Amino acid sequence: MLRCEAVGKRYGGGRWVLRDVDMEVSGGDVLAVVGGNGSGKSTLLRILAGLSRPTTGSVSGRPPRIGYVPDRFTAPDRISSLSYLTHLGRIRGMSASAARTRGDHLLERLSLVGGRNAALRTLSKGNAQKVALAQALLVPPDLLVLDEPWSGLDASAHGVLAEFIGEVAAQGGAVVFTDHREAITETHAGGAYVLGDGRVTPHGGRHTGGRLPMVELVLAAPPAGTPPIEVDWSGTPGVVDSARRGGEIVLRVAREHADAVLLTALRHRWSVVSLTGAADEAGFRGGAGRAVR
Amino acid sequence: MIALVRYMSTVLLLSQRYLAPLLLFLGLVAVLTSSDTGPLTATYASVAGALLPCSVWLTTALVGLEDQPHRSIVVVSAGSRLRVLLATVGTATLWCLLLTAAGLVLPLMLGAHSPAPADLVLGTAAQLTCAFTGMAVGLVCSRLVFRRQGYALVLALLLLLAVLLGDGVSPVRTMLTHLQDAPDSSAALVPTSLMLAAATGLLATAAAVTQAITRRKA
Repeated sequence: MLRCEAVGKRYGGGRWVLRDVDMEVSGGDVLAVVGGNGSGKSTLLRILAGLSRPTTGSVSGRPPRIGYVPDRFTAPDRISSLSYLTHLGRIRGMSASAARTRGDHLLERLSLVGGRNAALRTLSKGNAQKVALAQALLVPPDLLVLDEPWSGLDASAHGVLAEFIGEVAAQGGAVVFTDHREAITETHAGGAYVLGDGRVTPHGGRHTGGRLPMVELVLAAPPAGTPPIEVDWSGTPGVVDSARRGGEIVLRVAREHADAVLLTALRHRWSVVSLTGAADEAGFRGGAGRAVR
Repeated sequence: MIALVRYMSTVLLLSQRYLAPLLLFLGLVAVLTSSDTGPLTATYASVAGALLPCSVWLTTALVGLEDQPHRSIVVVSAGSRLRVLLATVGTATLWCLLLTAAGLVLPLMLGAHSPAPADLVLGTAAQLTCAFTGMAVGLVCSRLVFRRQGYALVLALLLLLAVLLGDGVSPVRTMLTHLQDAPDSSAALVPTSLMLAAATGLLATAAAVTQAITRRKA
């Protein structure tokens, strides 16, 4: 889909921020761009989003519908978040009511605190970041460009963001994001590019363009009979994350280990509350959860 | 495009940054035309002159409302930088039309005149000539071109002076001198329309220059 060939960028007569960058982004890809502060991540994303023109080289195949979330979202003074989303939806060609409904739905999912009719500038950094995220998803994007989307978001919004990324990729859109924390990029991206010295090198990752299939397993003590035996879930192979929610234990298990984990649970007299396929993400949707010892 | 203009107008309205140029314009019109009983041709010439600095101010204020990350979002949403720039010009034109309407009506209320249709047409054309020229200056001196507002202000004042005093080069200067000498409004209509066309050309050039510079800087 999107192809960068020998892209270089410098501002005025300054140093080269990017040099000889070759990159290819196809539909369904989730790619991370990793690099330190000032390594040119934002510049690369601005070039991908079509906001900046490369000094040398070329970018081709940019899709029409792009969602862009800048690293710093400074809102226009006094407009309310819902009205802002409605206006931006209209600019993208939606009807006012459709834009309003969609914006409302997105803010609901991101659980915006501070009121959707309050002026944007009264929102905290994290909540403003949620509005920035919502505006990029008003129409399902073919290319979603996120500049440090995790910074400022709380734990529950992390989960929702991972869901959004999964949904865009599932609909055939490509996602490119930056972060300086390797842990985050490894859990969320299908592939990664490392930026250093203005040059880009592909880095590890599962270059399959997809997400790891995961299973979410919810266990509880059986309603009657003997109580189950405690298991060290975080030490069980395949368990990526475990948390306690009320009386239930929520496990996130890699697909290939799901059967073994399920068998262990049943052997220890746990009762299965639910078993669902899930996207590859680190945090839980509900967010609240202590690790099970 | 309509959605963009609506959005920009809303942001401008909520920011209240339109208020200073609006009040300046109303004040200037009140001072220049109160208890004026002369021919409307000269009256509208001075009103048009008053609109010039106000349209510069309004345009720079409108562009200055959005900082870079926020403008990036609008540009990505709209699909192209050019579309956003054209919408900016459209929004500025819309607001200048509101000022023009005030500039047409106020002198009639403040002084003793008997307006003919030709007077009103001339008043509109003269004010729009100044508004377009002012918007051209405003675009070139806006945040899109200058990061540093101090330089932009100095350049804007210099350009305003040049436009007001530059004999033979500026449509505003040519039009204003012509209107002072014109016997009546209907006689001045054709030369004023020519100057309006020249001012439109100037605005188009300024928009093209701004677009080229923004693209280079991005």
